Amino acid sequence: MSERNPLLRWDYVVAQRHTIIAAVIEHVQLTLLTVVLGLAVAGVLAAVALRWGRARPTIGAATAALYTIPSVAFFGLLVPSTGLTRTTALIPLVAYTLVVLVNAILDGLDQVPPAVDEAAEAIGLSPLRRLLGVRLPLAVPVIVSGLRVATVTTVGLVTLAAIVGQGGLGRLILDGLRRAFWTPLTIGALLSILLALVLDAAFVLLERRIAPWSVRRPASRAGAA
Amino acid sequence: MTDASRPAVQLLAVSKHFPDSVAPAVEHLTLAVPRGAVVALIGPSGCGKTTSLRLINRLIDPTSGHVEVDGRDTRQLDPIALRLGIGYVIQAVGLFPHRTIAQNIAVVPRALGWDRGRTRRRVSELAELVGLEQEQLGRFPDELSGGQQQRVGVARALAADPPILLMDEPFGAVDPVVRARLQQELLELQARVHKTIVLVTHDLDEALTVADRVALLDRGGRLAQYAEPDELLRAPAEEFVTEFLGPDRSLRRLALLTVDALQLRRGAAVAVGTSTHDARALLARDGGDWIGVLDDERFLGWVRGTALAGEGSVTEQGLEAPAALVGPRSTLRAAMDRIMTARTATAVVVDEGRFLGIVTLEDIRRALAERAG
Amino acid sequence: MQLELAQAALPRDITLAEWLLDPTSWTGSSGILPSLLDTLALCSAVMLAAVVLAVPSAALLAHLGRAKVLSAWLVNIGRAVPTFALAALLVPVSLRTGLGFEPWPIFIALTAMALPPIYLGTYTAVSGVDRAAVDAARAVGLRSREVLLRVELPLASSVILTGVRVAAVQVVATEPIRAFLGGDGLGRYVRDGLGQRNDTLLLGGAVLVAALAGAVGMVLSLLQRAIEPTGVRRLRPSVRSTRIATAASDLRTDPDTAPHASEPPGALTGAMTLTDDERD
Ligand SMILES: Nc1ncnc2c1ncn2[C@@H]1O[C@H](COP(=O)(O)OP(=O)(O)OP(=O)(O)O)[C@@H](O)[C@H]1O
Ligand SMILES: [Mg+2]
Repeated sequence: MSERNPLLRWDYVVAQRHTIIAAVIEHVQLTLLTVVLGLAVAGVLAAVALRWGRARPTIGAATAALYTIPSVAFFGLLVPSTGLTRTTALIPLVAYTLVVLVNAILDGLDQVPPAVDEAAEAIGLSPLRRLLGVRLPLAVPVIVSGLRVATVTTVGLVTLAAIVGQGGLGRLILDGLRRAFWTPLTIGALLSILLALVLDAAFVLLERRIAPWSVRRPASRAGAA
Repeated sequence: MTDASRPAVQLLAVSKHFPDSVAPAVEHLTLAVPRGAVVALIGPSGCGKTTSLRLINRLIDPTSGHVEVDGRDTRQLDPIALRLGIGYVIQAVGLFPHRTIAQNIAVVPRALGWDRGRTRRRVSELAELVGLEQEQLGRFPDELSGGQQQRVGVARALAADPPILLMDEPFGAVDPVVRARLQQELLELQARVHKTIVLVTHDLDEALTVADRVALLDRGGRLAQYAEPDELLRAPAEEFVTEFLGPDRSLRRLALLTVDALQLRRGAAVAVGTSTHDARALLARDGGDWIGVLDDERFLGWVRGTALAGEGSVTEQGLEAPAALVGPRSTLRAAMDRIMTARTATAVVVDEGRFLGIVTLEDIRRALAERAG
Repeated sequence: MQLELAQAALPRDITLAEWLLDPTSWTGSSGILPSLLDTLALCSAVMLAAVVLAVPSAALLAHLGRAKVLSAWLVNIGRAVPTFALAALLVPVSLRTGLGFEPWPIFIALTAMALPPIYLGTYTAVSGVDRAAVDAARAVGLRSREVLLRVELPLASSVILTGVRVAAVQVVATEPIRAFLGGDGLGRYVRDGLGQRNDTLLLGGAVLVAALAGAVGMVLSLLQRAIEPTGVRRLRPSVRSTRIATAASDLRTDPDTAPHASEPPGALTGAMTLTDDERD
């Protein structure tokens, strides 16, 4: 039996390569879609927090609360209303990114040296120009770090979206478990771990490149290799 | 529109109360900044200098009173347009770290919609003006020294050629040696660009060197005295001013006055070839021991009275080189210094080799006393 | 081979309230109560293992000032690896080594998930202890071991506990995936609800899982307040969080997840929550 059902049967992998590639693509798509939507929603929430400072604690608490909802429960709660659809997968996935991304945007804007913004105002830049031309660009490195965390986390959560019939590689895993046939399980699990690590590494490289203006990099970033 | 006699900036009975503080930051401040003048705002920390500056370009609005720029009430002006028309150097420099030096300088021209070519020409012109290398224009602010960053801050403020420049402790962040150089450069710059400059500082020497007029503020933004530097030192208007200026007021005045402001005496000086007889007569009238020898306009040296015995004429031989030489732009303080260290009684004033006269300690003392009158 | 999943069968037309209020839903081999205990038992075991593995090693390395970069690196990798995928990968391995398909895979995966926040919390807390206090302890003649045990650990305990609490909440929130890996626990109702297309079971299961996670979070917060040494708690909060923030910034790898020194003390908790976003 172990010969017919080893951890990985290459002939099966080769035979099923189209399915596997399709699963990877679906996984990446869902991950990117989640992060893009998450960034958009987080942008709106951050804008609200900036415009009405008093809303900031509420937004912080609400996004943090969303994050504490167990994923199995979150997916499960939505199925009766949205079914086994991509929407059911996306809502929790996007919700989970918010706490990281909203904080990344706001922290990124906060860490802009006050003198820089002060100078921008004093020489006559309009509030919109100051935000788009000065504060936001300076917040980009921090926002990218937030995107890194959100992306890597999402890769893992997308795997779990298989329980509502979505999520690329997760479906291979569940399929393997149901049939107790290890090859799809191993391939799905290994590829999703690999995908997370590869994206993490890609972001590390991006982070290094993102701020050509900072000559003296903080030691903490250098240590994040 | 721009009337030369009308002040470029005028604060009229301006008060500013911040909502959450008891004492006003600025109280009933009236101050006229003449066109083309450098006015220094000075006073103890927290006395409202920065607040006054921010009132001028409407970074904040006064609680009462009003501010006029070019004779127009700033409340009638769009704040963004007003600010774009006024250069501002903030205390902490505040360069945009993600923009190159060139982009930093070009911020205001770009906001004003200048085309690329014009902006680029202006940027390199300004780099030249404030003493930056062209190759530094492509660098980021972090790659420049503190002094260079300050220069960029000044260039950025000057970019759109605003007639008015507000500077909040522009040289506060650099060491004294660099600061002195930047102050000197600012004076040279001002001689070329003729801006109206309001400069905040808490360095008395900076205010006295750079400014045409000094406004000394007391805590709570009360104007204690507004006068030219020498007048401030000579005639403090009240106790607070005297205290603020400190005990070495006379020394500071010496640093302000220059040799050419004195009525220079020729002293005992004769041309080469004058008969020793005449020279002796001159020395006797003067009452000194030494006589200066001139070749046309050139000061050749001193000869001792005792060496003029007998008949003949004064020659170039045996002259002693002058121990203390000063230029007409030297400060009286420098002249005094030169005299004391040379252990002589007289400094010779020459302008590019041309003899102008002599200065003695007595002349300096008299100058201080006269002006005090 | 087919994994036998004991399914909780339920009449289709029962309402959520009826299901939750029916005593027989709570008892029996597939009842809520045994499932709950099952979940809590696994989570406790995971936390015990994670604390034993992470706290002493992190404390010692931080005390010695060693392995800063390596720690950051490992924590990062640990956070990047998806828990569900890791657990699934371990299922066949566990079967082949004769450990059975349950609960070792989920146990190991959850432990791997709990390690980074605990390790990171301990490491940053110990290395963030005021140098003055450590120097003073050395000056009065404490040995290195005593400095760690009597000065650094007590002063760091508050933050260490925060790391443990954050990890525990995550473990409880993630444990339900076990139901999809051939196990049971409280996640079984969501699984069965999905399998049987029974919305009552699905919603009920989801509510139970969410309620447990919320309850555990609250209980642990209260517990932490109760057992925290009062001396540490009385430290000015700003001082505490500033020191820790500074320390955290040494180890952290994501600038966005560390609080600013100027942030209110509450940010500390947020920061710890955020330093370990890996959860699935
Ligand atoms: N935005 C503000 N809100 C409340 N109070 C303010 C504000 N800005 C300034 N103040 C207060 O107004 C007073 C004057 O401040 P200002 O910054 O003008 O002082 P300054 O003379 O520039 O001092 P320094 O030499 O230290 O820069 C101070 O007491 C300051 O605390
Ligand atoms: Mg100031």
